[in-house]
Amino acid sequence: MTIRTWLTLWNASMLLVALLATGALAYYELVIEARPQAQGAQPAGKSAKEPAPADIIEIAMFCSIIPAVALALAGGWWVMRRTLAPVTALTQAAEQMNEHNLGTPLPRTGSGDELDRLTEVFNAMTARLNSAFARLREFTLHASHELKTPLTVMHAELENWLRDDRLATEQRQRVESQLDEIQRLAKIVDSLTLLTRADAGQVVLGREAVRLDDLLREALADAESLSQPAGVTATLEACDEVTILGDRHRLRQLLLNLCDNAVKYNQPGGKVTLELHRADARAELRISNTGRGIPPEVLPKVFDPFFRGDASHSQAVEGCGLGLSIARWIVTAHGGTIRIASEPGGLTSAIVGLPVPVDADRQKTS
Amino acid sequence: MRVLVVEDEKKTAAFVRKALQAEGFAVDVCHNGDEAWAGALTTPFDAIVLDIMLPGRDGLSLLRQLRQHSIATPVLLLSARGEVNERVDGLNAGADDYLPKPFVLAELVARVRALGRRGGESKPAVLQVADLRLDTLTRRAERRGVLIELTAREYRLLEFLMRSAGQICGRMAILEKVWDYSFDPGSNLVDVNVMRLREKIDADFEPKLLHTVRGLGYVIKEPS
Repeated sequence: MTIRTWLTLWNASMLLVALLATGALAYYELVIEARPQAQGAQPAGKSAKEPAPADIIEIAMFCSIIPAVALALAGGWWVMRRTLAPVTALTQAAEQMNEHNLGTPLPRTGSGDELDRLTEVFNAMTARLNSAFARLREFTLHASHELKTPLTVMHAELENWLRDDRLATEQRQRVESQLDEIQRLAKIVDSLTLLTRADAGQVVLGREAVRLDDLLREALADAESLSQPAGVTATLEACDEVTILGDRHRLRQLLLNLCDNAVKYNQPGGKVTLELHRADARAELRISNTGRGIPPEVLPKVFDPFFRGDASHSQAVEGCGLGLSIARWIVTAHGGTIRIASEPGGLTSAIVGLPVPVDADRQKTS
Repeated sequence: MRVLVVEDEKKTAAFVRKALQAEGFAVDVCHNGDEAWAGALTTPFDAIVLDIMLPGRDGLSLLRQLRQHSIATPVLLLSARGEVNERVDGLNAGADDYLPKPFVLAELVARVRALGRRGGESKPAVLQVADLRLDTLTRRAERRGVLIELTAREYRLLEFLMRSAGQICGRMAILEKVWDYSFDPGSNLVDVNVMRLREKIDADFEPKLLHTVRGLGYVIKEPS
């Protein structure tokens, strides 16, 4: 039984008891006490035809038991609402909390009662959580910054080695392979920095009118050049004219990222299809591939940083495992949604929904 | 050409100095912003390589001060952060170019060289490397008289590589100049497009002109 029902019933029964007690007292006073008086004052025959006032009161009182119960229940419910109102407010405020607004304290009533105290304690707890999150972000930012200096030095050192003509072929290959790894590391550090800064709300996105269909056509050219060596064909199936407000560079990054994935996780002879539909205030972008698909139990994890899916398959796939996390950030920063739908052995699609402002078409396209 | 390098990290500064000196530039090195400010006021440099994170006066405020004092020396900003915002901030503060760390040394040298040239020689309309010709007015590429069909992207790639003929072009520089990406979008876009371009300009001809410099980038050059 919830506190809500319990409180309602408790309050209702208290009210009912009070009502019944008052009723019983009144019954005693008005009916029992009044009867001998009435019998003494009036002849017995008359009372059979005309009911005595005491009898009317008696009937009225018995009839009012049901309304009294209803009244008690209603009253009980109302008192419960009043009592639990601060708790409800607290619950609603706490429900809105996520890792980005931990710093905003829940509103306090200021009455100093137990619930106000609970809110205070709750606020202190989220403040501690918030500073823990902030420290973690700071740490990652500092770490990635500090990593870049030695990476720069290592890169330069190896580069200087490569200039040395006396270097034997075998040594040269080793140096080159190390350079590749340093660049890979640099890429991971870059992506981590971006994600951390985005998480901390430090990345400011542009907000200009962008023709999404133009960007998609451009992305098709890139998808074609990426897919050709992999034996995959890329096609643009639908391309409605859509203008949204957003960051041109980041949206291009998003499209390239999704196309790149669609090619990487495809198989020879496969297809990549690009679609852009507009429905009222929403643009739906769909980039699909005919790869081996993603098992349903894995789907919720694909946007997690460093998630690479099927280990045996990911060996063959280049990349740092942060692409989809970045894609998700770009989409949510634009107020949109992204999900992956996959039928094993069928189509695997990245589906992006982006809000289309009503007046975006009228703004200057740049 | 005289270059001022402002970089607090001693090892990085030493590498940059060495690489620029190898190109025949005269190089001065400062390890903090105040020193650099004094240097830039007294010596007419042809280019400044400026790190953003510096002890004392940071790179961006130094740059703003220089521009306020009408010192128009071309500036190449270096930053370990490498974010778009920072790039935009830097260019707004008056920088001429921006390179995120870790950078390819060869690319830094190429960019400094370009800064020194800026405003100097005019761009030729017809580019030529060995028997490969690119007419930037008609957008026609031909090798030994045979017309080569190029997509728009391949054309821009070829133009960029040919304008920097003989110099290694890093992936980042190519992404920036050909694709207009100011950050690495995390894809092997450059590599596959260079591959396709190579197929078109080199497959049926000798000698080969477009070379991969592994770990560093690509270069178009005449065989020596």
